[in-house]
Formats: sequence, C-alpha cells, structure tokens
Amino acid sequence: MATRRDLIAALSQAVGNEAVIWRPEDVRAYEYDGTVETRLPHAVVLPETAEQVAAVVAACNLLQVPITPRGAGTGLSGGAVARKRGVVISTARMNRIIQIDPINRLAVVQPGVANLAVSLAAASSGLFYAPDPSSQKACTIGGNVAENAGGPHCLALGVTTNHVLAMEVVTADGTLVRLGSPTPDIGPGYDLRGAFIGSEGTLGIVTEVTLRLLPLPASIVTLLAVFDTIEQASESVSAIIGAGLVPAAIEMMDRVTLQAAEAGLQCGYPPDAGAVLLVEVDGIADIVEEQAGRIRAECLEHGAMEVRIAEDDEERERLWKGRKGAIGALGRIAPNYYILDGVVPRSRLVETMAVVERVSAAYNLPIANVFHAGDGNLHPCVLFDDREPGARQRVLEAGEAIMRACIDAGGTLSGEHGIGYEKQQFMGWLYSDEDMENMERLRPVFGNEGLFNPCKILPGGTGCGEMAHDAAAIRAAGQDAYV
Amino acid sequence: MASEHSHWPLLADAPADEDLSRCVHCGLCLTACPTYLVTGKEMDSPRGRIYLARSVAEGTLLTTPTVERHWDLCLQCRACETACPSGVPYGRIMEHVRAQVAEAPQSDPVVRRVRRLVLRHIVARPRVLAAAALLPRKLAGLLTRERVAKLKPKPLRRLAGQIPRGQGAPVRPGFELRPAGQERARVALLTGCIMGEVFGEVHRATARVLARRSIAVEAVEGQGCCGALHAHDGDLAYARKLAKKNIAAMESDRFAAVVVNSAGCGAAMKEYDDLLAADPKWAARAAAFSAKVRDFSEYVAELGGEVPSQLETRVTYQDACHLAHAQRITTQPRALLDAITGCQRIETAGADRCCGAAGLYSVNQPAMSGELRQRKAVEIAASGAQIVTTANPGCHMQYLAADAESHLDVEVLHLAELIDRAEAAAETSR
Ligand SMILES: Cc1cc2nc3c(=O)[nH]c(=O)nc-3n(C[C@H](O)[C@H](O)[C@H](O)COP(=O)(O)OP(=O)(O)OC[C@H]3O[C@@H](n4cnc5c(N)ncnc54)[C@H](O)[C@@H]3O)c2cc1C
Ligand code: SF4
Ligand code: SF4
Repeated sequence: MATRRDLIAALSQAVGNEAVIWRPEDVRAYEYDGTVETRLPHAVVLPETAEQVAAVVAACNLLQVPITPRGAGTGLSGGAVARKRGVVISTARMNRIIQIDPINRLAVVQPGVANLAVSLAAASSGLFYAPDPSSQKACTIGGNVAENAGGPHCLALGVTTNHVLAMEVVTADGTLVRLGSPTPDIGPGYDLRGAFIGSEGTLGIVTEVTLRLLPLPASIVTLLAVFDTIEQASESVSAIIGAGLVPAAIEMMDRVTLQAAEAGLQCGYPPDAGAVLLVEVDGIADIVEEQAGRIRAECLEHGAMEVRIAEDDEERERLWKGRKGAIGALGRIAPNYYILDGVVPRSRLVETMAVVERVSAAYNLPIANVFHAGDGNLHPCVLFDDREPGARQRVLEAGEAIMRACIDAGGTLSGEHGIGYEKQQFMGWLYSDEDMENMERLRPVFGNEGLFNPCKILPGGTGCGEMAHDAAAIRAAGQDAYV
Repeated sequence: MASEHSHWPLLADAPADEDLSRCVHCGLCLTACPTYLVTGKEMDSPRGRIYLARSVAEGTLLTTPTVERHWDLCLQCRACETACPSGVPYGRIMEHVRAQVAEAPQSDPVVRRVRRLVLRHIVARPRVLAAAALLPRKLAGLLTRERVAKLKPKPLRRLAGQIPRGQGAPVRPGFELRPAGQERARVALLTGCIMGEVFGEVHRATARVLARRSIAVEAVEGQGCCGALHAHDGDLAYARKLAKKNIAAMESDRFAAVVVNSAGCGAAMKEYDDLLAADPKWAARAAAFSAKVRDFSEYVAELGGEVPSQLETRVTYQDACHLAHAQRITTQPRALLDAITGCQRIETAGADRCCGAAGLYSVNQPAMSGELRQRKAVEIAASGAQIVTTANPGCHMQYLAADAESHLDVEVLHLAELIDRAEAAAETSR
C-alpha cells in the first residue's frame, strides 16, 4: 500500500506541484457535493489537459488508489463524493470552449465548461445547447454527460444523450479513446458513446465533448398558470399532453417552493397559490400563439385561477429565474434538503403526489415539490436540519417511502440526478440480480477494476467490498492517515 | 449565535450559525466567483470558504495559515450573493470571519496589525489623511497622460497611472452647492475618506448634476469615513464607531436623502442597520438612517425628469461590485447613460465581475488583483470603448491602472463626471 507521500509525489509528477491539493484543511472543501453525503479525499488534482488526466489515472492505478471525477460538485446523488477516499480529479481548469462551429452546428468543449457558457458562446451564431439543468450556470458539461442530465426544456428536445455527438475520454485504466462521431448520425460500430453517457463517472473521465447545437427558436411564449391545488395542476398537465400539445417545458412548483423562491428571488410568483405550472412553447410565431392559447384554455378548464403570459423577455427571464433558483432557495426555509428524483408515468402524477403528502405528514417533515411535470419527473425535497439528532435517518426513510411509491406506480428511481451514492440499495427494486450483474460487466470493458468512482450506482458493485472509514475517524487521523 | 463547540476566538463577532447553515452547498455560486474562476480551487470559491468557516464553527477544523489564505483571497465582491438562490449573506459572513482572523491570526500577524493601525489612524482621520493625500495630489498635477504612457518599467507606469488626474481641489465637509432656481429638496453628501481628497471633481460633478434637478447638496460637518474598509477587514468595533458618527452627523430631517457616490461606502451605510442591530441605543436610528441612503445613480433615477444631455462617444459601464451585488443596482446607471444623446453604450461580458480593486485588496493581494485587472483590460480593449465609467473610487483607480499598464487609451470617468459633462455640453450647445 502506498503512503500519502508516495501518492502526492506521483500526482505532482503528473500535473505539477501547484495543481495537487493535499493539505487536510484544503481537501476538506472537496468532501461534499450538492447532497448531504461527505467523505474526505486524500488528494485532489486539477489537470488542464487530457494527457495530464491520463497520467493521473495511470499513477493512481499503479498505486492502487481510488479515483473520483468531479465537475462543479452540483450533483444531487453524491457522485462526486470520494466514497473510498483516494484522489479526486477536478475538471475546474479544463474550462475552455475549443470551437463553436455554426455551419455544422456543433460545439467542441472541455469537460469543465459550465453548461450555460456553451449557450452564451453560441448565441451570437443564433444557436444554443438544449439540455438546461436548473443548475446550468454552474454545472459542467462533463458532469452533465456523467449524469445524462436533463432540464426543463428536455421535454420536447431530449436529454444530454440526445445532444452529445462525440467524446474524448480517458478510460478507467488510463487509455485515451474517442467515442461517437461528430456527424449528425451516430457512427458505425457499437454505440459506446451511449453506454458512457449516464455512467456517473464510473467508466472514465470525459476530457472533450462535441455537442450538437440547435437554432434559437424564432418565437417563445411563457405562461404561468396559477392553481389552488397540486391536483388541478397535475390534471392540467395530463390534459395538455393528452390534447397532443408538445410544449418545450412544463414545470410545476408547489406552495412551499413558491414562497421560498418568491422570498429569495422576487420573480413575481403568487405566494398564496397552491401550485403553479410554468409552461413554455417555442417555434414559429403563429403556431406558438395558437398553442399557447390552447394551453391556456386547458389550464383554465382544469381549475386555474389565472393564466399569466410573460409580456417580454424580462418577465420571461424573471419567471425562469425563480424556477431555476427554486431548489437553492429552499435553503431559506431549512438548513438542509434531501432531494429525490423519482419518475412516474404522467397518468399517475396525482396519486403519487398524494403519497408524497402522506409521507410528509407521517414523518413530520416538510416536503417541497418542484419538478419537470411534463416528464413525470418528480423532485420532492425533504426539508430538515442535519444538526438535529436522528433527523437524517428519518429523512432517508421518508425518501425511501417515496421512491417505493414511484416504483409501485410503474416509474423509476432517477430521472436525471443519477443513482450515485445512496440510492443504489434501491436498484434491486428495479432490476434482477442478473440484470445488475450484466451491467457490472461493462465496467471492466473500460478498465474499471474497482478503483474508479467505487461504490456508485450498483449495490455492492466492484470495489465496494469494505466501506471506507467513517468520516469522523478520518478527520481524527488527519494527516497521518494512509491511503 | 455561534455553537458552543466553535473554534472562533472572538465569540461576540463570530459568524452566525444561521448564516452559515443557510448555505446548502448547491454550488450555483461557483461560476460567479472571480477567484474560483482564476484558481479553479473549491477552497477559493464561496461555497468552499463558507464550508471552511462552518467547519471551524462546528469545531471540526482549526484555522490554519492555509485556511486564512483562502479567506484572505476573497475579494468580498459579493458576486456570490447575487448568484445564490438561498440568500446566504456572504458579505456579512466574511466580515465576521475576518474579525476572527484579526483576533488570533495564524499568519502575517504584523501585516494585519499594521493594516488595522493604518485604517484606524490614517484612513479614518481626516487631517492625517489629507496630509497623506498631498503627495499623490501634487504628483497628479505633474503627470499628464503622455508622461504616464512613457514611464518604464510597467509597474511604475501602473502606479503613476492610477493616481487620479484632473480632480482639482479636495471636497471636504462644509462644501455646499445650491440649485440656481428653487430648492426642491436638500440632501447630505458623504465626502468620504480618500474620495474627498483625491476625487474632488467627482463630488463637484455629483453636486452639479443634482443642482440641475433643483436639489441642494450639503456635505455636513461632523461626518467622516464610512467604515466600510474597517468592516471588510473585520474591525467591526471601529466600523460601529464610525457608523455612529456618520448617523449623528447626517440623520437630520433636513435631508431628504443621504447621497453617496462611492459604491463601497453606500453599501456599508445601507448596512449600518445590520452593523448596529445588536445595540439597543442605536438600532432604530441606524435603521432609519440606512433607509435614507441612496447611491448617486439610484437617487438621480428616482428624481426622474429629463435634463438634456449630449455626448458623442462610445462608453462602457463597468459595475462596481458593491453597487451591483451589495446594493443590487445595475439598471439605473445604464439607463442614465442610455439617456445621453449620441452616447453609444457597449456592454462587455464580464461587466459585473470584480476588477480586483476591492478596497485594500489590490495592496493585500497584488497578484490576484493584477490578474483580474488584466482580464478586464482585455475585455475593455475588445469593446472599442473610448470611455470607461464606473461608480466607485477603488474601481476608478483600478481602471486607470489598467489603462496605463495595458495602453488601453481610454478615459476613465465616474458616472457623475460623465453625466455632468454631457449635461454641460447640452447646455452650451443650446
Ligand atoms: C439547484 C440544483 C438544481 C439542479 N437541477 C438539475 C436539473 O434540472 N437537471 C439535472 O439533470 N440535474 C440537476 N441538478 C443536478 C446536477 O447539477 C447535475 O447532475 C449535473 O450534471 C452535475 O454536474 P457537475 O459538473 O456539478 O458534476 P459533479 O457533481 O461534480 O459530478 C457528478 C457526477 O459526474 C461525474 N463527473 C463529473 N465530471 C466528469 C467528467 N469530466 N468525466 C466523467 N465523469 C464526470 C462525477 O464523478 C459524478 O459522478 C441540479 C443540482 C442543483 C444543485
Ligand atoms: S449558491 Fe448559496 S447556497 Fe449554493 S453553495 Fe453558493 S452560497 Fe451556498
Ligand atoms: S465575495 Fe467575491 S471573491 Fe469572495 S467568495 Fe464571493 S464571489 Fe468569490
């Protein structure tokens, strides 16, 4: 087994002294991501090139040290938390947009580029990058690829995998390979690009991505429909989709969320509404107008008190600012939240929301709801205070009850945040042992013999034998801890 | 309140646990943070700095020189507050963190001590400061643009270049300007510490712009330094002392508003209520006072009415952090510029990103400050602007430095100077 000293020497060799973080107080800032789970890594590296990434991976493999890739650490399933400690590879310095190609409508970017930065850079060519996670200001393209991220506008346009053409990756064993092809069609051969997307950083590290860009819509109408109850809003969603309308986005927010968002972001939401739908249609002006009219009618018919249409870009932006900041804004009403990511068939929305309400009452935990209603992708956010003894356990139990209800309704465990750290024990609800063993076989194909982002996605998967020490013990051991 | 396990050495001014726990580590602030964008290190991000503070507060981490370095590298620009959906009061957290560092420093104790003494005994003392400002003012008279441009080496050129030129005599308490016609209202003007000494023309321009709108401007005696620099340095005790002095001097009902043309001072004065909230004798007075404080652009926009103005130029407005992020004022200055006939305003991508001046930051952290200045220089050069305008003395000098350092060939003006110039031009052309 290697000592910390050996490890740091090897990493410095790979990326240079300045790009290795190892002081105990420094690595402290890498023990978390957007979830509540924490684990201290031994060291963090900040490579700038694919070659440096490959060198780090090779060094870690040689020393048998676990590796965890990290983008912006906005992940909501603990994916970037170094569950077995070891080395975190941060892409924060790989943040160059290499090329915007307006003719072929594609962008070539380094993995640490923020999602929104791509659309901003493409805007002058009249193009944009479609997947728009609510965290898009900060989350990275590499993290999006790893989680197969979605966003409000993925209802009509599809999620990350529909917009990634090709990738350069360093596989878990340190080999630099290309996946996919920068052409409109997936190239010949196995679609390993598809297998890699959504693999939550367990197969390798993305070092360059070629993204499809779309032309900015000519016309956009944004509607805010205000309801008394979540049921009415849910029924309106079914009605809109049932009528054959395909809005670009249908987002729902409940009362708790609305109040938090309005308090923090002043976005013009009615704070006393029971629920709102934020609906957007885009495309050719005439069609957009017509569709917006029909959506408005459906909402009113299903009990909307009011349907507001954004008058200008400024109002539109304000409405979206509230939605995109809504989850963060929950920090105003509780020090911690545990956000779930269940998916149910749209037709089961109403009853699943009722379960969420019952769980909230049973566990005496407030739950805020803000989600991609059009896809049936729920995000119940359980609000709590982690400093309260026993709170976290109760929260996890409440979360489990809700996940169970999603599965029972014919849904699934994750729409876009990934399985990551703590939802893996639920995988057995969905898949048979054979199913999971089959998935497991993909890891060695990319050279993952258990060191690469261990203990993620699959329960008891490769490398997840004995758990790493408890965080407190690690802190106590401090600098003397061995890898 | 700080928790009982905390490792904070100065409990009275410890960061509040409620403030720290408001951060849900979502990371949405990362890309707003200038220092994170430069170093790419989580410890140099808002979330990382808060997490370190929280760890100290919870008693799981000791403040080490390394931890202090990450806190010291913070610009206190508060761009993270604008980005944060959770409403984390980052500025307040960092001021209280700095108070802890100053109380029991693990690194650079002498530098910290000297800085505190300079702030208390030079910056906050008008007469001492006036004497200290004499040299730069004299130098400014000798240094023409052309002379500065020829200076070598670069650091010398930058240093000489950042001394404000053409600012005339100082404006000190006692200054007054009445409108030509009827007086619609009277406002108190903060002359400030360094501002009054080396930016006299900015104050006069401010007063003229207001006078054209029938507002009388009075810089009352008894006022002094606003205390912003002290608070940012964690010297909250002294900041409170200065706040009380200013409240007593300017709270009179005679004044419809307290107008401030330095974004950093304005932000601090709008937060006197927070600073003195725990002081029963002063809390209410401070709240009433803070409610009356207005930034120059905010006040002019509130007054409304159209004063003709005209200037053929291309200008870029660069937000002062403490205007954009602490006071959330971004539209008014732009609208005022857009109202000038012939003035073409160019928006740059990083307009609301910190220029690296950040109060004493350019002295404390010259490397990071220089990096941010150079990034701005690139953006300004690309914009093709002839004039860079901003609303804070520190930023003003940073852009002067950028101009000298990178041969930008731009004129740097305070927003009030630019508006005054355009309004004067419209007057003479009529
Ligand atoms: C307020 C908020 C709102 C959110 N809204 C949405 C939403 O609407 N839709 C959505 O899909 N998600 C959302 N998320 C979740 C999160 O932003 C996404 O999962 C995002 O894709 C994570 O990107 P990141 O750069 O932060 O990755 P990280 O959190 O750093 O990492 C996530 C995973 O990706 C892996 N990874 C990171 N970079 C690479 C790389 N270069 N190569 C290989 N693996 C890598 C990590 O190992 C980890 O497993 C939200 C999060 C927050 C905090
Ligand atoms: S945006 Fe706010 S809540 Fe989120 S990490 Fe930053 S400071 Fe914390
Ligand atoms: S105040 Fe500025 S430099 Fe400091 S953490 Fe916030 S954004 Fe970063």
